Amino acid sequence: MKNNDVTCKDVMDHICESLGEELDSPKCIAIKFHLNECTQCQNYFKSVGKTIEFYKLYEIEMPEESHKRLMKKLGLGDS
Amino acid sequence: MDEVLLIKQAQEGDKKALTELVKNYEKTVFNFAFKICRNPERAENAMQETFFSMVKSLKQFDGKSKLSTWLYRIVTNHCLMELRKKKNNYISLDDEENNLPDGALIPDWSSVPSDIMENTELKNILDDAINKLSPDYRAVFILRDVNGLSTEETGQITELSIPAVKSRLHRARAFLRNEISKVINK
Repeated sequence: MKNNDVTCKDVMDHICESLGEELDSPKCIAIKFHLNECTQCQNYFKSVGKTIEFYKLYEIEMPEESHKRLMKKLGLGDS
Repeated sequence: MDEVLLIKQAQEGDKKALTELVKNYEKTVFNFAFKICRNPERAENAMQETFFSMVKSLKQFDGKSKLSTWLYRIVTNHCLMELRKKKNNYISLDDEENNLPDGALIPDWSSVPSDIMENTELKNILDDAINKLSPDYRAVFILRDVNGLSTEETGQITELSIPAVKSRLHRARAFLRNEISKVINK
């Protein structure tokens, strides 16, 4: 499974970490087997990965004016 | 220049070193504050307060944690305090047993485009979803998933145990996914 930047390993890491499980624990291995067979689960976890990706990509540039106001407030020069 | 040396010089009153430290972290702090507050003015205010606190108490910084962790703690506390003042009707996830959809067909999101910065509608959907999330859950989600800090560091910053970080993260992810799904799958 490969969906944009989210890989199976990312998904597994997220699931197992949420459950407090090591990646090679019996529970994590059982989940991996189920996930390989279940389209519903694959769709669900791909969508969780995509949700995280959306929030990662949503950034704004810090305005130059904000930098200047910060330096002024702190009484620092800008050399 | 090496950060440890910069910190030492700034602690001894070197304004140039202090300026360098502020410049090294201002964008990170601003962007993190924006991701929590979802508003550029509030993000700037949080950034100013964070560095003001840093300058005031830099002499007490003992280097036991990373400077970035220390700054994340200050900016997180400031943002959470501001959000709590607003007293919005945040959705509490504390009693949620499970956010997984039950029985319904789960659509495939593969075809949903990722070009978020070009898509105002998607940005609004993301803002609406995260604005419903209570501040404590929001901070854990942004620190761990969005900014990529470790679970341990996220726990240090938010003063939560590792199991509490994991539990909040799991619930926050599922909640946000479900909120976005309501709109995307229409």
